Amino acid sequence: MPSSNPPTAAGPPKPDPPAAQSDAPKLSGAELKKQKQAEKAARRAQAIQGKQAAAPAIAAPAQSTEAPKGPKVQQQKRRGSTLAARDIPTRSQKAVAAPAPVEPKKEDKTVEFFRHLYKPRMTSIAGASKDVHPAVLALGLQMSNYTICGSCARLVATLQAFKRVIESYTTPPGNSLTRHLTSHVLSPQIEYLASCRPLSISMGNAIRWLKLEISKVDINTPDTTAKADLCEAIDVFIRERVTFADQVIASSAAERIKDGDVILTYAKSSIVQKSLVKAHEDGKKFRVIVVDSRPLHEGKHLAAALADLGIEVKYCLINGLSHNIQDATKVLLGAHAMMSNGRLFSRIGTALVAMEANEADKPVLVLCETIKFTERVALDSIVHNEIAPADELIIPGGALENWADMKKLQLCNPMYDVTPAEYIQMIVTESGNVPPTSVPVLHRLGNESQ
Amino acid sequence: MPSFQAGYAPNLGVFLKSLKTQQLESSIENLISLLKRRQIKNSRPCAIATAHLLLRVVAKFRWTDIGKLLERIREVGQRLIEAQPREMVVGNIIRRVLGMIRDEAKEDRNEDVSDSASNSQIGSPQRQHSDLGVAKAAAPPPTFSPLRFASTDASELAETSEDDVFGGRPQTGHRPPLLTSHTSFAVLNGVPVQQSMFNLLSATPSPLATPPGTSSPHGKSAVNAASLAHKIATTSKDLKAEVISGIEEIIDELDQVDDQIAAYAQEHIHSNEVILTHSSSLSVQKFLLKAADKRKFTVIVAESYPNDHEAVHAAVTGKSKANIEGADEMSTEMFVKPLSSAGITVILITDASIFAIMSRVNKVILATHAVIANGGLIASAGARIIAKAAKVHRTPVIVVSGVYKLSPEYPFEFESLIEYGDPGAIVGYQDGALVDNLEVDNPVYDYVPPDLVDLYITNLGAHAPSYLYRIVADHYKIEDINFHNPELQF
Repeated sequence: MPSSNPPTAAGPPKPDPPAAQSDAPKLSGAELKKQKQAEKAARRAQAIQGKQAAAPAIAAPAQSTEAPKGPKVQQQKRRGSTLAARDIPTRSQKAVAAPAPVEPKKEDKTVEFFRHLYKPRMTSIAGASKDVHPAVLALGLQMSNYTICGSCARLVATLQAFKRVIESYTTPPGNSLTRHLTSHVLSPQIEYLASCRPLSISMGNAIRWLKLEISKVDINTPDTTAKADLCEAIDVFIRERVTFADQVIASSAAERIKDGDVILTYAKSSIVQKSLVKAHEDGKKFRVIVVDSRPLHEGKHLAAALADLGIEVKYCLINGLSHNIQDATKVLLGAHAMMSNGRLFSRIGTALVAMEANEADKPVLVLCETIKFTERVALDSIVHNEIAPADELIIPGGALENWADMKKLQLCNPMYDVTPAEYIQMIVTESGNVPPTSVPVLHRLGNESQ
Repeated sequence: MPSFQAGYAPNLGVFLKSLKTQQLESSIENLISLLKRRQIKNSRPCAIATAHLLLRVVAKFRWTDIGKLLERIREVGQRLIEAQPREMVVGNIIRRVLGMIRDEAKEDRNEDVSDSASNSQIGSPQRQHSDLGVAKAAAPPPTFSPLRFASTDASELAETSEDDVFGGRPQTGHRPPLLTSHTSFAVLNGVPVQQSMFNLLSATPSPLATPPGTSSPHGKSAVNAASLAHKIATTSKDLKAEVISGIEEIIDELDQVDDQIAAYAQEHIHSNEVILTHSSSLSVQKFLLKAADKRKFTVIVAESYPNDHEAVHAAVTGKSKANIEGADEMSTEMFVKPLSSAGITVILITDASIFAIMSRVNKVILATHAVIANGGLIASAGARIIAKAAKVHRTPVIVVSGVYKLSPEYPFEFESLIEYGDPGAIVGYQDGALVDNLEVDNPVYDYVPPDLVDLYITNLGAHAPSYLYRIVADHYKIEDINFHNPELQF
């Protein structure tokens, strides 16, 4: 992929692709688009192991356009670089006829159970559509490398970026904002964000809301007013559904923390952090046990932040969970989403914590804004999940460094798991404290009020 | 941590080599410090080192009677256990050896009995159970354990013990047969239990005051005493050889145990199963490899971060050259090919992913550090949540363990078995101020209660957790269970 190629590059149109050989950056926008589609097709093809033989055929249309920048195609993650290097020459040699039998069988490193969930993750802006707004471009990268992490943070950041997109938007002549904005401007942004990291459920909810808002704009409203209204609506949305909701939840949860409590929490949830800080500010004396896990070690940040405030913090990894659960008096968990069947969808490992807490008869409280509620249901963690790149599991200098060369060895790095509803005693939301069975009710109420 | 293993850091291999050249006493000290410094750790290396050391102890020890030998081994054992109480196999091996010596002695004694039965009429065999040293007035730690008596007797009295000073205490409780040849001799004298009470006073001074076999309170025993002394002299050689070969058998068992366990693999693993395991255990790896000969299945390995992940990573990628301590010297067989090269799909996951993936797992196979008589086990940290998650998903949990890991100890507080590791593995100095501000907890082991385990597979076969106490009883003599801890002896 031409990483030197600015995504919005628009050079003089060159009709035939081979001409680009000398001079890649001069591709036209249309060409770029076509090229990107082709690449995507190729990537998709490679991800499917069973169709190895068919892959070159699918990728064939791509070859002519891809040919010039063969050696740079190493973008595709999740494959040994040697493998990638090995098959690129065959492609650039324009071997359309019969590369399939010759090509050494590429090993599929995806885990079978999760195969439906694998999505290539974009780690650079190269190849992004030219329509993507710079603010969104930056956001995508931040999400992809976990600089912005956490359901709520991503939601807020997305809406803020979309606000910028809307601000810089002008309705092209002959179109109305209502019809044009969503499909032609927002869609590429969303698509790009999703390619950086799959959208969180709260982001999905917010985007659905935003699209609804846009569709509600009266056709006759002048552009500037409409844009201002939309930005205003976004601000209100963030304030109501996130900022205020967080405050309500934090004070509600802080109320439940009593002097002498030992609060166990897992990884890092911003709302749990807010609640603990609030309780601390209220003068409650309590201890916190932060359980954490590889590879993100998010809990370390939480532990550091709380320790800085002077809260007594104990930090352990999930291997110490069963030793520490006995000391805890309450378990506070954050959420990525609440499923309609009352199950909690949250950072991988949460289910273990809830299970142990349940076993030890400790109350489990989930702190969750209603924006994270979804009508989806989940029974296990496999049907719906997010698979992070396996390379994140590698410890520099460790034995895993060239795991990709090992046949039949796979690394699996799911992001979330599903906690059974029976482990959860209470969900603290801004609309009140409810049992897991009430999730669909609250979700409906929330949607109807919209 | 594996980082040391590269250079000259002493490990099992080095220790075994040094055994041949070093003085016995310095070998013992050496092993003690290796255990303390955890340069020999984990069950298997500890067991092998202990067995080899005991072999030397027996070979080097100039012993005249069994009791002394038992005492000597007990003394060495006590020191080793104090060095590293949580390596429970050390105690197990010592108990095995003690029990084995007792058995050998018993066989020996039986021969005696048949010999001498001809020239003296003896009381009923039951009486054998009730005699036992009364000479104890002289024995230093006054305890009431029969075992203790038997042993101190033997050592204190050494040669003089041919006297029938062992009258016998009136004892009503049943007790296992005595095992030393002296005690059998005491019975030969046929002192009635009741009468023996009267011997107490007259007998006690004699062992210390009198030279062997010369002045005995009971005149008629002198003949027997002399003949027995002779007998002991002649038989102790054989006995020594037998004890040594017994220890060698234990060492062989340690070598073969994994293969014996692996022989059961194909009964338990079937095609297309998904097996979840954790940490890096040679036993489990061999077990799975054996099953892989015939079947194709998927293995999911939880990496057990932060204490064992390096070994796990090395094991799955087949770079486990130095991952098992002492591998360099011990052997060929320590090089185990990675599972993936046997055609098994291996999926490495983080410990946190266990619950997520458990719904697709057909069986969980756990490795152990030690097994306790109640059917619970000590395994590397994280095992408990795995077993619990399996229970929640109704997935069977199989524990693979050599019998040598089966410990008769039964602590009242399981936390006492848990060792805590280096917190630096979790929050290192690169985290700066965090090191000072946080309390960090890094348990190395977990206790898994028996109700979370469905099946144990040992080199003897497959057992329910509730049956393990029987195997414990088969392998250890009740007298030896608390040998390192006389106060607890009953």
